[in-house]
Amino acid sequence: MSETEILETHLQELRRGTVVLACLRLLETPGYGYGLLEELGDHGFPTDANTLYPLLRRLEKQGYLTSEWNTDEARPRKFYRTSDAGVRLAAALTDDFRAIATAIDGLDNDL
Amino acid sequence: MTTTETLTDRYVEAAMRTVREDQRSDLAAELRGSIDDQIEARIAEGDDPESAERAVLTDLGDPDLLAAGYTGRQLHLIGPRYYLDWWRLLKLLLWIVLPCAAFGVALGQILSGATVGETIGSAVVAVLTAALHVAFWTTLVFVVLERTGHETMDTGPWTLDRLTEPRQRGAGLGDMIASIAFLLIMAGVVLWDHFIGLVPTQPGLPFLDDGLWPWWITGLFAVMALEAVLAIAVYGVGRWTVPLAVANGILNLLIAVPALWLLGTGRLLNPDFFPTIIEGADGATVQGIIAAIIGFVIVAVAIWDTTDAALKAARARRA
Repeated sequence: MSETEILETHLQELRRGTVVLACLRLLETPGYGYGLLEELGDHGFPTDANTLYPLLRRLEKQGYLTSEWNTDEARPRKFYRTSDAGVRLAAALTDDFRAIATAIDGLDNDL
Repeated sequence: MTTTETLTDRYVEAAMRTVREDQRSDLAAELRGSIDDQIEARIAEGDDPESAERAVLTDLGDPDLLAAGYTGRQLHLIGPRYYLDWWRLLKLLLWIVLPCAAFGVALGQILSGATVGETIGSAVVAVLTAALHVAFWTTLVFVVLERTGHETMDTGPWTLDRLTEPRQRGAGLGDMIASIAFLLIMAGVVLWDHFIGLVPTQPGLPFLDDGLWPWWITGLFAVMALEAVLAIAVYGVGRWTVPLAVANGILNLLIAVPALWLLGTGRLLNPDFFPTIIEGADGATVQGIIAAIIGFVIVAVAIWDTTDAALKAARARRA
């Protein structure tokens, strides 16, 4: 494995949980798969389609997202929305992420 | 346009193969919608429809892998939850089953009068077959466990109590295996001597007196079986204890005393052995010398083995 590949793997691991957090926050206004994919990219969370779709399913199964088919438009789309449990989870994750950020800043101060 | 349609169709169909029936239509519709959205976006950026479709599907990757992400299907045979249990059990079973298979088959071959080559060949084949079966069936059980979500065999979390006790020298796995292997070899030599003969030029000439069969030899094998049990017990306890050392001494007496008595009364060794293989009067002389040496060896081995175990037991008690 080359050095850039190792770096990629570590970055992926670091970012994995943040995609969940970003989805939960963005889907407080309902969204569908591809639209969310674009939105995530625009907000600085570039995500692969084959990561996002299974993730949405998993969060739905765990009760953090609810879904509904929208057949008003020419192409039927499955819209996801963050449930109340999802909002609480997002709050908890956000708090923890801030705590981690502070802790990492703390590492600098000790030098 | 028909060819691109076909590619998406084929991709969605391939991805849905491993998805449960009741989720299939919902997932298929969503996946198809997402693929169409992405293709459209690429076309809007100036791609031609065909290469846009190819690029999107290529990015999605192996449809089975994608479906596994959707359904949470396990993509490993035995995961970290069971791996160590599987590995420990497999090693233990192989240590037990393979020597038993090798010995059993070799014994059967010898008893039925097979040649050395046939015996070794059959034993090797039996060991390989047994290893294959043990590995396959053990693994299969764990693969099923992994998929049915059963708890591991030793329930409860790992605690410090499960750290292996430090073993005394002379009470480890290697010592147990060496003891049992030695007993098996000795039993093999006795059987070989009776059924085939130790001297290649004199087939059928036994070293031990034929009068020992069957009862004395049966008794010898019984004591040897007890010694094997003792070796396992020492390994199980992890050290020599006073009762184990006493048992060891009794077993040594059970072998040495009758052997010396038989030797003294001229019933242990075949009186014709050396006179047959050594011409002239020398044969009888050699027979006498060998009998004396064997007498000393029996006494020395019994004393050394008993003392050794007793010393280890005493040392373990002090520690």
